[in-house]
Amino acid sequence: MHVIDNCKQRLKVSVPAPLIDMNGDTLNVAVMVKLEPDLSEGNVSYNPDGTLNRSQTKNILGPHSAIACRAGMYAKVCYDAWVAVCSMGPPTAEIALRDAMGICCADELHLYSDRIFAGADTLATAETIKHGIMRMGRRIDLVFSGHRAVDGETGQTGPQTAWKLGFNFIGNVVDYSVDVSRRMVRARRRVDLPGLYTVLEDVECPLPALIALDPGYRDNYRRVSERLMYARLEKEARRRVADYKNHLKVWSAKDLGVDLRYVGLAGSPTIVYKVEKIPKAKASRRARVVGSSSVEELREVGNLILNIALGEK
Amino acid sequence: MRYQHMFVLFEHDDGNALNVSYEMLGEARRLMDGFNSRYSLDEKVIAILLGSGVRDLAYKAIDAGADAVVLADHEELRYPRVNLYTKVICSIVRDRMLIKQAAPSTSDEYVKPRYMLFGADSIGRHISSTVLAELESGLASDVNKLVIDDVTITHQYKTNGKPELYRQILFMYRPDFSGFLWTQILCLDNKNPAIAREYSPQACSVIPGVFKPLHHDGDSSRVGERREDGEGARIVEYRPEFSSDDLRYRIVKREIVRDEVGLEDSSVIVAFGRGIKDDPEGNIRMIEEFARLLNAKIAISLPLSKQPFSVSSELKDRYLIPARVVGSSGKRVTPRLYIAIGISGAMQHIVGMKESDTVIAINPDPDAPIKDESDVFIQGRLEEVLPILIESIKGSGKDVGDGDGGAGADAGARVLEMEKGKVKDRDRARV
Repeated sequence: MHVIDNCKQRLKVSVPAPLIDMNGDTLNVAVMVKLEPDLSEGNVSYNPDGTLNRSQTKNILGPHSAIACRAGMYAKVCYDAWVAVCSMGPPTAEIALRDAMGICCADELHLYSDRIFAGADTLATAETIKHGIMRMGRRIDLVFSGHRAVDGETGQTGPQTAWKLGFNFIGNVVDYSVDVSRRMVRARRRVDLPGLYTVLEDVECPLPALIALDPGYRDNYRRVSERLMYARLEKEARRRVADYKNHLKVWSAKDLGVDLRYVGLAGSPTIVYKVEKIPKAKASRRARVVGSSSVEELREVGNLILNIALGEK
Repeated sequence: MRYQHMFVLFEHDDGNALNVSYEMLGEARRLMDGFNSRYSLDEKVIAILLGSGVRDLAYKAIDAGADAVVLADHEELRYPRVNLYTKVICSIVRDRMLIKQAAPSTSDEYVKPRYMLFGADSIGRHISSTVLAELESGLASDVNKLVIDDVTITHQYKTNGKPELYRQILFMYRPDFSGFLWTQILCLDNKNPAIAREYSPQACSVIPGVFKPLHHDGDSSRVGERREDGEGARIVEYRPEFSSDDLRYRIVKREIVRDEVGLEDSSVIVAFGRGIKDDPEGNIRMIEEFARLLNAKIAISLPLSKQPFSVSSELKDRYLIPARVVGSSGKRVTPRLYIAIGISGAMQHIVGMKESDTVIAINPDPDAPIKDESDVFIQGRLEEVLPILIESIKGSGKDVGDGDGGAGADAGARVLEMEKGKVKDRDRARV
């Protein structure tokens, strides 16, 4: 028999004291978000070769981060949770935190910002965020992260942060609920199995846990009381956003107490070695080219389309 | 040698193998055959198989290219649970005696894998992340090309600005979100004495559908090479033991759901991309009508799933959703007819539709890459072209009924599906 005891997961986490809210009644939630390029039309700028023009594209709270914030708001509405939003990024990332606050009516905003963090890959980012979450001054029960960033698109930082914190990880979550007194979370996950099928899976696990939201997450406020509370908190969120700097705490590497060998470029196992244009594939078909000015020719194509659609050759 | 072998997580759903498992093993076989002959080494492709009652998959893994399989067969491992699977996988790959049983060429100094592959899907994406967090090494995601080579690197941190030779490096190529750029990601030891550290395994998740399984190369010589002891391929068992804490994460219910869009079963697909930008709402409505006339399903290119346009929430929720994406981050489709409207044709889109029987594209850019994948390329703005096509189809009096955008969308689709399969031969001459 092989005993699984050589994983360091449970040993790694030592939560610094003192902590408040140890009585188990309050749900303490952290939402991790990212500042990302805005890919919406009118804001995004592409180079002539189709690649993103980063200097001309403005940055916003990432759309998947926004979904994580909605899940944070749900915890606030339904479980009266204390919610903090955190992000690792440049000083300008505070606008992502501000916008996150507007969605989830956050109680605190935490920005991990230090030049030493720059260039971090997912492992080094998770290391930084782990330290941040451990130093929120409360025992965090539940962390929300987005599915993946629109620029990096790895989806790795959430699960890696969960593992480093020693939390249960639940990914692709479309719906969740918490039993605060039993300290259990229940979640519905959407598992796409390419080439097979999609599975909806209901899972239950003890807190603390980290949930990565599926893009299909929907916050369902089923009761009237929840909808009323939502409206109240939405109003409160607007008030807080106007004053967000008073809720914002910026942490340097020193403040977080991170080991500098494990964050930023020094703590990143991977590097981006080269970026190249993907070579154009060999033409696999020879197109007949039809101009848009020839109505007759277009009608002919219309007939062709219809015939193929009908299954006639 | 502290780091050896290429490990592949064999992914399946309760015994139903995911194709990506065979694809990864095929690629691992090719990479390690090249590796062993180039470096005169004897390192193995080792599949890691977790599940319940899945021994037959171990044989399939060997047929697909594995030299050995480490099998953890246990009722509690029937379905993946990220934390539990991570512990089992990490325990397996760190167990020198076990790995020696699987691969007798394993050195006495073995500590960890050299390389690891996972699928970039709902299973592998998260498990790869947590496994590599535990093994404290680098992970690239969504890779579609792999090369092993030596390379001299000069890097501010990794080498303290001095050139250093790195051997047996796995070059992991991933297309970026635009589909036009390829990023090479390397996982490298810190050779800089100030932060000296070894990073192994070099690992990645690979995009499903990219790599070819072994047998598609016509190589079936490995079939029948199943030997559980002695020479040849091996299956070794790993018996995990769980703590009650490990099992408090429970799967309460599982339900297989039908894809609500059903692109893969559709014989006619109308897809649109960023070209709708001048009037998103109006253009989507027009495409909806066009699709309805053809009894077609509506698909989108990846950028559209990020909802870059402001359109009514009705259209947004119905069409600008991941379930409709065609491409390497979405569905692979093989309809009889694929009509690409305002899609430039980034590689990541092309891989999802290039097997369609007939492709018709509408695009104002005469150099759009989609042209090279089209049988008919209508060079023009969709706002000018579509109304004429719609009118000519309506005028024929033969419209086919309700596709996406109409009521009873699926009733019509079923009739046409009966045709599917019959018309698979490519008759491009008709165009």
